[in-house]
Order: sequence, then C-alpha cells, then structure tokens
Amino acid sequence: MPQVNELPTVASPVMEPAPIDRRKALGLLAAGIASGLASCSKPAETIIPYVAMPERLVPGEALHFATTLPLSGYGRGVIVKSIDGRPIKIEGNLRHPASLGATDLFAEATVLSLYDPDRSAVVLRDGAITSYEALQQAFLGEQQHMRANDGEGFRVLTGPTTSPTLLRQIGELLRTYPKARWHSHDPLGDPAAEAGATLAFGRPLHAIPRLDKARIIVVLDADPLGAGPDQMRNGRGFAAHRRPTTSDFSRIYAFEPVPSLTGAKADHRLALGTNEIGEVAVAIARAQGAAVREPAIPERARSLVTALTKDLADHRGAALVLAGPGLTAETHALVHWINTHGQAPLDLIEPLARTPEGRAPASISELTADLAAGKVTQIVMIGVNPAYDTPAELGFAAALPNARFRLHAGCYANETAELATWHVPLSHVLESWSDIRARDGTASLIQPLIRPLHRTMTDHELLARLVGQADARSYDLVRETWRSQGGADFENWWSQALHDGVIANSAAPPVSAGEPVLPALADAAPKDEHGDEQGHERLALVLRPDPCLWDGSFANNAWLQECPKPLSKQVWGNALLLHPDDARRLGMAGGDVVTIASRGQHVQAPVLIEPGLAPRSASLTLGMGRRKAGAIGSGVGVDAYVLRGVDSPWLVPSVSLARTGRRQAILTTQNVVRRPDDVRELFPVHQLGKPQALPKTLAIDDRPSLMPERPRPDNGHAWAMTIDTSLCIGCNACVVACQAENNVPVVGPEEVARGRDMHWLRVDVYDHGGSGDQQLGFQPVPCMHCEHAPCEPVCPVAASVHDGGGLNLQVYNRCVGTRFCEANCPYKVRRFNFFGYADGQEYANLGLDPYRGQKNPEVTVRARGVMEKCTYCVQRISAAERAADREGRQVGADEVHTACQNACPTQAITFGDLQQPDASILRRRTEPGHYALLAHLGTRPRTTYLADVRNPAPDHGGGGT
Amino acid sequence: MSQVLEPDPAAPSRWIAARRASDVQVTQAITAPLLTSPGRVWWLSLLVSGIISLWFLVAVVWLFDQGIGIWGVNSTIVWGVAIANYVWWIGIGNAGTLISAMLLLTRQKWRGSINRFAEAMTLFAVAIAGLMPIMHLGRPIYAYWLAPYPNTMALWPQWRSALVWDFWAIVSYLLFSILFWYVSLIPDLATMRDRTRSYAGQRFYGALALGWRGSARHWSRLQTLHSTMAALGVPLVCSVHSIVGLDFAASLMPGWQEAIFPPYFVVGAMYSGFAMVVVLALVIRWGFGLQAIITRRHFEVIGRVLLMSSIVMGYSYATEWFMAWYGGEHRERGLVAFEFTGTYAPMYWALLACNVAIPQLLWLPRLRRSLPVLLAIAIAINVGMWLERILIVWNTLSHGYMPSLWRSFHFTFWDWSFLIAPLGLFALLFLVFVRLVPAVSMFDMRELAHEEGVA
Repeated sequence: MPQVNELPTVASPVMEPAPIDRRKALGLLAAGIASGLASCSKPAETIIPYVAMPERLVPGEALHFATTLPLSGYGRGVIVKSIDGRPIKIEGNLRHPASLGATDLFAEATVLSLYDPDRSAVVLRDGAITSYEALQQAFLGEQQHMRANDGEGFRVLTGPTTSPTLLRQIGELLRTYPKARWHSHDPLGDPAAEAGATLAFGRPLHAIPRLDKARIIVVLDADPLGAGPDQMRNGRGFAAHRRPTTSDFSRIYAFEPVPSLTGAKADHRLALGTNEIGEVAVAIARAQGAAVREPAIPERARSLVTALTKDLADHRGAALVLAGPGLTAETHALVHWINTHGQAPLDLIEPLARTPEGRAPASISELTADLAAGKVTQIVMIGVNPAYDTPAELGFAAALPNARFRLHAGCYANETAELATWHVPLSHVLESWSDIRARDGTASLIQPLIRPLHRTMTDHELLARLVGQADARSYDLVRETWRSQGGADFENWWSQALHDGVIANSAAPPVSAGEPVLPALADAAPKDEHGDEQGHERLALVLRPDPCLWDGSFANNAWLQECPKPLSKQVWGNALLLHPDDARRLGMAGGDVVTIASRGQHVQAPVLIEPGLAPRSASLTLGMGRRKAGAIGSGVGVDAYVLRGVDSPWLVPSVSLARTGRRQAILTTQNVVRRPDDVRELFPVHQLGKPQALPKTLAIDDRPSLMPERPRPDNGHAWAMTIDTSLCIGCNACVVACQAENNVPVVGPEEVARGRDMHWLRVDVYDHGGSGDQQLGFQPVPCMHCEHAPCEPVCPVAASVHDGGGLNLQVYNRCVGTRFCEANCPYKVRRFNFFGYADGQEYANLGLDPYRGQKNPEVTVRARGVMEKCTYCVQRISAAERAADREGRQVGADEVHTACQNACPTQAITFGDLQQPDASILRRRTEPGHYALLAHLGTRPRTTYLADVRNPAPDHGGGGT
Repeated sequence: MSQVLEPDPAAPSRWIAARRASDVQVTQAITAPLLTSPGRVWWLSLLVSGIISLWFLVAVVWLFDQGIGIWGVNSTIVWGVAIANYVWWIGIGNAGTLISAMLLLTRQKWRGSINRFAEAMTLFAVAIAGLMPIMHLGRPIYAYWLAPYPNTMALWPQWRSALVWDFWAIVSYLLFSILFWYVSLIPDLATMRDRTRSYAGQRFYGALALGWRGSARHWSRLQTLHSTMAALGVPLVCSVHSIVGLDFAASLMPGWQEAIFPPYFVVGAMYSGFAMVVVLALVIRWGFGLQAIITRRHFEVIGRVLLMSSIVMGYSYATEWFMAWYGGEHRERGLVAFEFTGTYAPMYWALLACNVAIPQLLWLPRLRRSLPVLLAIAIAINVGMWLERILIVWNTLSHGYMPSLWRSFHFTFWDWSFLIAPLGLFALLFLVFVRLVPAVSMFDMRELAHEEGVA
C-alpha cells in the first residue's frame, strides 16, 4: 500500500509565465487588498443570554455576601460586593467583632490580589508544569511510605491558623500518622507575649485589651492602633473616648522607640530605647506596690512616669497597660501583674491555634533543626513562605533541601516554591470555603465569591488528600466541622452563619487566670556602650511589620505598594529610619544608601531621617525586598528578615552602619508638615480643658464674593462631609477603599518619583509638637467640594461644574486637560492622567486582562489626559437616589455612605445631606472645634473638619479631666 | 549715479547712514538679496534650522503619541515649559506690531527700517506661541472645544475662564498681525512683481500685490487703512498680553493673584520683543549688508527703549515684593521668601540680573552704541524673560497653600526639546521670509530718504 508521503506527484505542465500587464497588476492589487480586508473581520461568535435567569441575579445589580478575610491567621469579617459574579469591593461587616463595619487596607486590597495575573495557576514539579494526576500519583506513593512508618519524618508547616476546620484536619492527620509533626510559622508572631504570659500565669494566655472600657491607656512599645488583625476593634475602642462632647475622654501615654500610629494619637509620647521602656514598666509596677527592684528610668521620662502612675491609680478598673512585642518576656509578665492588680479592662483567653485534641504546633526553629539533622523526609508547607520570611541566621532555606519530598502550596510560586519539589496553587480566599476565628475567638465562615479563576485547590482539600480523602471538597469539610454545632436544624444554622458572616456566641470565653507571678527581673541593663572595640557606632535596630505590606505576603499588591506609609509617606520601598542626631554623628543624610550589618548578615538600605525615633535606635520594616513576589513586588525595598535574630525577633540589639557612597531617592507622595506657622494655620489642635484654645465653631462664611450664590439645592440635597481629626488614626483604610471603589489607577515607582500619584484621598501628616518632641496628627484630604470652587471658573470647557446637590463634578469626557483647575486648587486634590495609567500605559502588568475584573462598573475608567478627583462617591449617591425614586421616598439622612467613610475603623468620617434636619452630619458640624480648611480664601468647602483634641495630664500642659 | 547704496557711518542724516540714498538705491539695496542666489551661509543656516525643526516635529509626534507625561510636570506643578514658552513667544510676538503701530501713530519715522521684519517676527512668534497651549493640553485633539461652534452637545465654552479669553486673544491677534503685515507689504510686493525676472516670481508677487499700481488713490487708501489698523492694533497688542497675564491673575494662587499682572505682562512682552528685534536686526543688517538702512542710531534708540523697560520691569518686581509684604498674607510673603531662597533661587537671581541689573549698562552711551554689547544684553534679556515666565509658573505652583504637596519641577529631555526646538522652527520661517519678501519696507525707506533729504 502506498504511504501517504509516497503519493505520486503529478507533473505539472510547464507553463510560460503569463505576462502581467498593467491592468492585470492593478486587478491583482485590488483583489489582494479586498481579500485582506475581508479576512480581517472578526470571526462570528454567538452569545446566548440566560435562558433561566439565576435567582436574584440582575445584570449590573450588586450582590453582597458575607465572608471573612485572614490576617496573620485571624479573621476580619467583611461584606463583599459582587457585580455580575465578580467581587469588586470589600466592605466591613457590622456584625463581626473584628470589623464592626470597618475595613483595613489589607482587607480592601484583597480584592485586587484575587485578580493578580501573577497568581500561581498550575502544579509545578521541580519548577516544571505538571498535572494534578501526577500530583495524585506522588501523593499515593508518599502515603504508602507514611503509613508504613507512622509518618516518621513527615512534617506539616502552616502559617498561624485559627481555622477550626484546618485544625480539625491537622488533628486528624496527626492521629493518622502518629509520628508526624505539625509546625507553625508566624513571621510576625509575638513570642515574648506568650513567654510573658507563661511566666505570669503558667500558660501562654492571650490578652485581648478592651480599649472601649479604658480611660487611661499606657502603651509600652505596643501599637494597638497600628496595622494588625485587631486594628479595627481597637480603633473603635479608642474612638469611644476621644470625642470632646463625651465626658469620659481618655488619655494615652506612649513610650516607644519608633513612631507608631498609637504614638501619634497619644496625649503624651516619649521616644525611649526598648530597654528604657522596660524600666518604665518596672517603675509602674513598683508604684503599685510590687516588690520589684528600683527602676532605672531616664531622667526625661521621670515626671511623665509619675503623672501616669497617678493616673493609673486614679482609674482602677479603667486603666490599661499594653506591652509590645519588642519587650522581654519579664516585662510582659510584669505588665500582666500591673493589669491584674489594676483590674484592667482586658480579657485573657486560651490560645486559638490548637487542634481539637489541644495539640499546639511546634516552632519553625525545631523544624529547621530537624531538617538540618536529616530527620525530615517529607514536608508539606501550606500558605507559608519560610524561605523568605524566616531569619537568615536560622538557615531554613539551606536546610530545606535535606527533605526528600518538599511540597509547597500557596497562592504564588514564591521563594519557597523555588526550593520545593512540588508546588500546588492554592485558591484565593475569595474563591474558597473555610472558616476562621477572630482575635477574640469569634468564629466565622469563609465563603467563595467566585469560582476559582484557575485550577487551584484549598488548604483543606490538600490536607484531606494527605489523609487519603482524594476527592474531599472544602465545602463538605467545613460543614462537617460545624455540623455538631448546628444541631438538628443544621441547614438553617448554616445559612444564618453564612448570611451573618459570624457564628453567634463563638467568642473564646475569658479565663480567670488567677494571681500572676511577679517575674524575677534582671538588674537594670548597664548604660549602653555605643560602640564596639573597633570604635564603630552601634545602634539598636527595631524591626516592625510593614504598615502597608504586613509580613510581605501582600508584596505583589500594587495598591498596597503604592499606599503611602502612614507616617513617612514612603511608597514602593522601605528605608532605614535614623534619628537626626545619629545621622549627623554618623555623617549620613537622607537618601544615602548604607550597609546595615549584624552578626555576619548585612543588607543595604537608603536612610530616611525620622525625628520621632529614640536616640540610638534605628528602624526598618519587614515585608519588603521580596525576590520572587511577581511583576509588582519583586525587588522592591530591602529584606529586613535577613537581619532578624531567632531569639529576639523584633529587636536587633546592635547593628553597625557603614556608608556605601551611593544615593537612592526615597519615594514619597507628600511631605510631613512640620513648620509651626503652617501647622497653626492648617491643623488646629485643641488641648482639652482649655476652652479658649478651641477654634470657635465655624459660622457659614458669608464674606462678599463675586462668585454666584452658593449652588441652589435643586434636588433637595446638599451633600457634605465632616472629618474628625481627633479620631483619624492614619491607618490608610480610606485611601485604599477609595482606590478600590473609584478605579483609581496605580502609577508605579517611576511616576511617583516624578510626583504623580493618583490617590483621590490623601492623609496629610502634621507635626504639632512645636519645638519639642514630635507629635503627629492626621488630616485626610479628599476634594473639598467648595461651594465657591476655584476650579470651576477657570475651566475653559466647563468640565468642572457643580450639580444641584452641591457636588463639584468633573466631567471626564469633556475635559481637554488644561490642568488650570488643579493649578488653581488651593487644596491640591485633583489628579491628572499624565499618561494612560488605566488606559494603555499601565505600570508593569497592571494592564493585563484579569485586573479588569476588579474595576467598578459604575465608575468610569479615566483616559489619558483628563483630570480626576474625589466625587464623594457620586455613584453611591446616584444609586441611593435611584433606589429612593423607585420606592417613592426621599433619600434618608444618613443613607449614603462613601467608601472612605465605610472603611474608617474609628468612624472619623461623617457624610450626609445638610438639607435634612436629622442628618448626623449637622450635629457633628455644631461640635466645638469645627473648621474649614483655608476658610479665609472664601471657597466655602463642603468638606470640613473637627479639630484634633488632645488630653494631656494636668501638670503636663493639659487642662485635665 | 551709482546704483549702490554706500554705507557711511559719518553721514549727517539721522536715520540713513549714507550720504546719498536715491529711490533706486534704496530699492536696489533691499531687493538685491531676493533677486540674487542665496549664499552658502543662508543654505547652511537653512539646513541647521531645518534639522532643529525636524527635531521639533519629532518631539511633537512623540508628545502626541505618549502623552504629556514625557514632560517634568507633576500633580502639584501641573504647568511647565509649554506655558512658559507660550508666554515668552507671545511676548516676542508683541514687539513687531507694537513697533509698527505705536511708532506709526506717534510718527516715529525710524520705524521704517525695522517694522517689516519685526512684524514678520511677530507673525512667526505668535504662530509658534499658538501651538504651545494646544500641545500643553492633555487631550490636544479636543483643542477646538475652546471655540464656540454649534454642536450636538449644545455646549459652549466656559466664558469665565481666562483660557477662553486667551483663545480669542491669540486668534484675533494672529489674524490682525497677518492683515497688518500684509497691508503694509502690498506696495513692496508690487515692486517685487515689477523687478523680478522669473515668470513664476512675477505670477507669485503679482497675485499677492492685488493689482497695486501705485496711484495716488492707492496710496491714500493704503495709508488710511494702515493708520486705522494701527489704531486698532495698539489696544490689541495691550489686550493680548494683558489676557495672558490674566491667565495667572484670574486665579487665587499666591504670586498669581495680582492686579499688576496685566500691565506688567505688556511691558515684559514689549521688553523681550524689542530685545529680539535687536538680535534679528543685527542678523539682517549683517546678512544683507543693510548698514546704511539699519543704522547704529536705530540700535541706540532701541537700547533706550530697553533701558526704560528694564526699569519698569524692576519696578514691577519690586511692587510684587512690596505688595506681598504690605498685604500681610503669609502665603504671599512665604512665596517671596521662596523665590529668593527656595529651590529655584539661582534662577530667580539670574532673572533679576538679566532683566534688571545687566540692562542698566545701557545708561552708558558708549556701551549703548556698541553693537556686540547690545547683542549680548538683548540675548540676556531674552533669557531672563524666559526665566521670568517659567518661574511665575514654578514658584507659585511649587509653593502653594498646602505644604504637604510642595514639590519641585525636574526638567526632562522633552522639556529641553520644547524649549530649544521651536527656536529652530522660528529661524527656518525667518530664513524663508527674508528670501521671499523684502525684509525692510521699501516704500517707507524711500519716503524716509526723501524726508531725510538724502534721496
């Protein structure tokens, strides 16, 4: 039979090449063009509308679902807004105790990570793409091995976890393989707190402070208002006593080596070295009658410590002392003693990361030791990145290859995946079923908002496979965990739990821990020797989680990379914070790149001068310098984990600095305002008990103006916003919420360097400490929506106009881009698309398709060359008006909530309609200290402020209450 | 009778440096360069300016392709080189019409030697200036929205905006400058028509000369029209730069919101325009050998104008400082302090040196009459005036009401391109102009020669 390739060729007749004349040539040309054009048409594709519309799904109408987002293993309840099946915005869940209706910047940014095109989507074996079937094969082989030897040499490494289902599965795994071990690694854990509780009570109890019940709060290097899983609850507790209209205004004393958000909001803040702060705790305990040695507190802290001990004594039952992770276990134990004796508003609960059998995880140090000793043959690492976020001196990355089977499961093929033999892509939290507990133990369910975008699995499914349940689904696994809880009517219980986003009465019961033991205190540390034998300067390096990237797991999130750090306003990187005196002595200036060395490890970082540091303390944040984060996060900033010590994770006691001679610009989006006359003009601060200092309530500024009379409320509304600067803790939740809601583009580091960030809402930082120690205050600045808006008369094409509700609108499709409006805006709140930041010239991979899924369909994505700015979330106003129209009623007084307002953990932002007599904004506007920014310009802003009220101790400059 | 106009510096007449300048000699001297082949220098200059113009073209294409992000503008300093260029070029463009119209009305006969090319300078400068606000836009494709035209959106420009006033100021000034220049060109075009030998040239000049025959009626109508236009032109010259001043003054930013801006901008425009006239006059005088027609006395007179303007400029600056102090508004005071000591302080001191200090040398007659010195001072003034314009933009925007957003401007390559390359285009247009049209008004010069008694 002839093979196909042996078919006889037909001899083609030899032909004379046809002469091509002009006519023919032209004809061919025309035919060519015509056929080219014809072939360029799009192929016909048929779309089919829903035949049977899914219940409740109306195209373009948002649906809201409750779920929970994890941060360091603890859950924060959220409501996710989903349009046409796409989750696009995260809001807080009022019912959840760790949210109370607010969000933080990490929660807001989670929705962007869902659509990250760099997310891991395939199973990798030794870095090459392989199939789930191959993975299953490998699992079968490993299981055989593990069954044979009871799991000897098998380890599971998880992050900090409180998920009841995951803990149940781990318990089951450890029952199946008795010799296997479970390790947990929290790069931002607080071992000193657990050790301190163990010293004081004999067991590692967790302290849950109740700031809402505290009148006196002393923070010793702690940052309850800073980023973290409990920020929103703490923020709301803080806000409960910071309104001058209430009688029980609280007072906060902060002692800290590095400026923090809590320090910024404190009534008294003193920058002290970490050792000296420990002595403050000793002094407080001694003043309360503890039999401890004489404290060695520095002279400048003495009078303040006297004042605060008096305050603590006067407020028994409402005074709280909080110790931070940088302090020693003894200091933590001492603080437990102080709080117990002062009956502080604080609950002690059992740790949550225990299997149902009560097994606690082993540490990563033990794991590393076992790896190095060759005792580990198989390791499964779930949702962790130890190759990046363990201290370099631990040597985890070097020891890991000693294990034969190394499986990494994560949302990203990160640094650890590189060292693993297998990588399994995990589903994003918005694609998964799970459950989790908040800091106070309240459990809630995690439900998926969208089918997994890639072929991924959840951690529950992975663990189930390890015990041989090859087709377990996390939905069933989670339901199984809770089936006994739900009782007879489980389906109803389950629906209710999903609907509420919180499982009722699941908070951990406070335990009565008994009388704490006074720790044995070491003698006061000798006066620091600032220099080693070579005469090199030695500084203490205080490590902090990055306020925007947390432990580094958010590194590939562009919103968070470009979110200005609350105090320094740095973006796209971190820097070594250095006290001006230390910098002068070392001959270093801001922007100098220096080598930071400690115990044989070193990194290079640019210097940022920070006057709020304690002398001889420097600081660096963790979470930067990722090597394999993705297109956004790789190679941004400096990895401080390298310098970290295993024994004291939050403080490197002694680092040496050396100049490299290079310079690197520190990218910031704005300046911290420190000049006293600027601060006086723009940021009024009121000391409680000194009524004369309070700016008088602002009457409507009726000075004559050539501008037309203030816009008539044509549609019966007069929208306005009031921001209480007393309550603003500078957490940036509003900034990221605004970005998510309004499709605000990210511009990238190069553009930030050129001074072109796009945030519609910025938080200005003012140092109102005068010549003394720095005291920071925050002033969020959205558009002022001036009644006499300077931007409007200068626009030649009427792209900047007022509407009947008093909104100052920007008509994007009319804007030609003269930028006169921004030039003439005294508040500088307008932002210009110098490039097509969302329109074809995106930074890095931000133009890729998946990101489009996040865009809010109700907000225009702005083109290049147009001006944009805060709209008071006009789409939300319009939605409320349409809803009211449909229902034939008026829009309620407080019905519209802007994105920034909803996000705010302290409810510092009030938005409403001045035309409605019962609007809460009207009440806020009559409070003392109400002011308008730059009121003397006659712009009559609709956004107004309440002065920052501080409550210093009576003999320390305060009026006292 | 010699057909050549012999320059003679020692000639007794005031405005013609020749002992004898008959009608024929004057005409000959001015038309000769147009009727002979251009020299190497001209071709070389054309090549260089052509290359620079090409650079300008590349820059514009790149700008339209990439967006205005290629410049150093940022969210705080949203205006930059394009605006400074615009004001500077409009300023240059002010002098030509001012010289012709103002001096015509005040019967300053010496204007005859310089008004033609000064008006051409105006025309080209205004044309370049008019490009700048368009290129400055974020979406230049929609620049026409500033014009009131019937459209389906039923939208009109926003009349309160100074930028709309500006649009009208530029358009009307450009139209006026073209007409004014062309009207005074008609008799000379007729002369060219009569003198040129090529058929194409005769057709070209003939069409443009509109059938001018030189009859008494023609002359009378021309003069009526010309003087009427001059009378219209003077307020127009003042209005165009006043309105440019209002671009800044009709705002509420410190350092911009100043009542002195309109007159101060007009004087500044005249100042830089006269300085540019000095430069161009020296080039033409040297290039075409017109030493007899553009005399040293002309330069001395312009030198005096420059001196007077520099004093008015100094007075204007001082008024700004005084009013900032006297007004007591601390942002205004802070701005003046920033001007002298802030980010751009070296540039500010340079501008004061160029615009106020250096021109004081013109008090000395010896320096005033030295052409190299005058040229150097004129260039310094042009540099200083550009610095003034860019600093008006930068200082105010860098140091506004919110210290949290104080920033500085950083020049990019494309900023430099838009600063330098338009000069090449200007030179190119000018080089073409001097080859096509008599660079000096022949009929004015003949009249002057008669009045000077040297004809």
